[in-house]
Amino acid sequence: MNTDPMQDGFTLEDILRDTLESTYIDDAYYAKLRNDMQEWEGCGTVLNNEERHAYESLILHENWLLDRRAFEKWYQLYSRECVYWVPAVGDLPDAERADPQRQVTIAFDDRRRLGDRIVWLRTGVAYSQLPPSYTSHVSTAFVRLPSENAGEVKIRSQFLIQEMRAGHEIQTFSGWMGHVFIKEDGVTKIARKVVCLLDAPRNHHNLTFLL
Amino acid sequence: MSIQTSSPHFDHLIEAGRVHRTLYTDGDIFDLEMSRIFGGTWTFLAHASELPKPNDFVRKRLGKRPVIVTRDRDGNFHGLLNRCTHRGATICRHDEGNARRFTCPYHNWSFTNTGDLAAVPIEDGYGPAFDKQELGLGKLRVESYRGFIFGTFNTELPDLKTHLGPSAALLDEWLDRWPGAELQLRRGQTKFSCAGNWKLIYDNAADGYHPGYSHASLLRMRKDRYGGGVDMQWALGNVDEGLQTVSDCGNGGTFIDQRAEIKRFWDQSAPMPGESAYERVIKEKLGDKADAALDVVMGSGMNLNIFPNLLIIGNQIQVIEPQSVNKTHINWYATALVADDLPDEVNSLRMRLQEDFPSFGEPDDLANFEECQIGLEIEEVEWVQTGRHLDTGKEYIGAKGMLSGPVSDELPLRVFWKEWLKRIEQGNLGVAK
Ligand code: FES
Ligand SMILES: [Fe+2]
Repeated sequence: MNTDPMQDGFTLEDILRDTLESTYIDDAYYAKLRNDMQEWEGCGTVLNNEERHAYESLILHENWLLDRRAFEKWYQLYSRECVYWVPAVGDLPDAERADPQRQVTIAFDDRRRLGDRIVWLRTGVAYSQLPPSYTSHVSTAFVRLPSENAGEVKIRSQFLIQEMRAGHEIQTFSGWMGHVFIKEDGVTKIARKVVCLLDAPRNHHNLTFLL
Repeated sequence: MSIQTSSPHFDHLIEAGRVHRTLYTDGDIFDLEMSRIFGGTWTFLAHASELPKPNDFVRKRLGKRPVIVTRDRDGNFHGLLNRCTHRGATICRHDEGNARRFTCPYHNWSFTNTGDLAAVPIEDGYGPAFDKQELGLGKLRVESYRGFIFGTFNTELPDLKTHLGPSAALLDEWLDRWPGAELQLRRGQTKFSCAGNWKLIYDNAADGYHPGYSHASLLRMRKDRYGGGVDMQWALGNVDEGLQTVSDCGNGGTFIDQRAEIKRFWDQSAPMPGESAYERVIKEKLGDKADAALDVVMGSGMNLNIFPNLLIIGNQIQVIEPQSVNKTHINWYATALVADDLPDEVNSLRMRLQEDFPSFGEPDDLANFEECQIGLEIEEVEWVQTGRHLDTGKEYIGAKGMLSGPVSDELPLRVFWKEWLKRIEQGNLGVAK
């Protein structure tokens, strides 16, 4: 079975104690994100079998964990120094407006804030999640992008997410995602995920679930 | 809608300690608000940093009216109704840009960015009575105070600064946290849509009663993760025994002051990505002045609400855009402070901090506003309570001569409704000059 101790049995208690500092978001990290945005614009190649097995299946697993609201397990798909980023900008590429160092975003979670988000979702008194959102994530059109970053693999995909909260209309979100994978202690992890919503510049009714 | 000549009366819906639920649910009242309140008093339109260069413009709304805010070549601001005087099409269809003229796409009438009709194709199709001077765009009266641009149709109001009263001095305090710094709105925005009446949002902006309860998730998350002492701890327990206050700024403006609760802004700040790395850099760069620079990362400890649509909260500027009687857009503009002696790292942190409350605080309030809207649809329970601390003898004349009270006082609601009544009964002053 799965021998990675981080993959199973990781609980809210573990998250509470995990990563209480924010140390790695600095100029160099933001420069990497700006470079990512350029690289995502490249011409992708469809995945071979090996890549599908390693990366596409991990994205599909991520989707499944989110749809199951298994946030604690989802959190463990991410590397120690990770980001979950939802720009508040349409019309990409846009070097100025998409630069998170200068602009506010819909979500910019380093590992600590990702932990905050999960603890917050689990408090039971987040009224924006009472009743909770249920989602269906569909990902498709996986391509691999060339990257100048050694040791990283970049996969871009298109997504369609439907969200349902009892008493509210179903919301539909679409766009593209970029996943950057690295190996950490021999395990493939998500180092950066960017979610570019088709309607990012519009007003949103409730985005307190995870994309 | 047509300009009303006789005005229905609303004072039976507004009592000393309660208001009627239909004020939040009646579509006809909503329509009157959009014409009489938005534009009937000084109403926030845009911030100067959104149109920094000559001939820049932004497209906005004044109530439900589409408007264009322009900066002419001399730097003066104008508020133009985005409505072609030929047959009604909007002439500007971009959110922002730079243009000396706007040409209507339908028959290409073209207007200067100060509102004059400049050119009409095949003009000889009009007879001698045709007067281009009479066919300029509808114009608002526009004034700005320290970069905040307001517009109105009301020619009887005093100048903007007089109208703002104590809010002007409070705005100074908010702006002058780093002397000499220029406030800039950044291009990213957190934009919410709420299935609730717009007044539920204004009601909440100076509601010091709700945070300990409506924001239980945020407070509990912080405590479980970081222990006590971090961010908003003043919201716990009996807040009326704390140091926060609420005040009446006049003309519907209201204010919550939390500053006395904050001993050291940076130490009491919410967590934000990049905190450790940039704290170190700012300390290296600024030495003795670093503490002061870190303090301006954190929210101001002020909620200043300018009737009817501008909420200055923390470091953010929130603008209320009503869509319909039960749907409202709330646009949160992030702000940066720009000064030669303030390093960029301060703004990198400010961007991250201005994502915290929109992630973990505001959504819970919006969920509660939506549930208010659902509850207020019930006909049989008619009244909404606004009487907290009305008769406890706890109100007093405080700073700047403002009537003030303990933070859970519903004084701000009463202040709002007094101004609302005055504006709604004045009729539509919509003569677009
Ligand atoms: S409607 Fe604008 S030119 Fe005809
Ligand atoms: Fe709140």
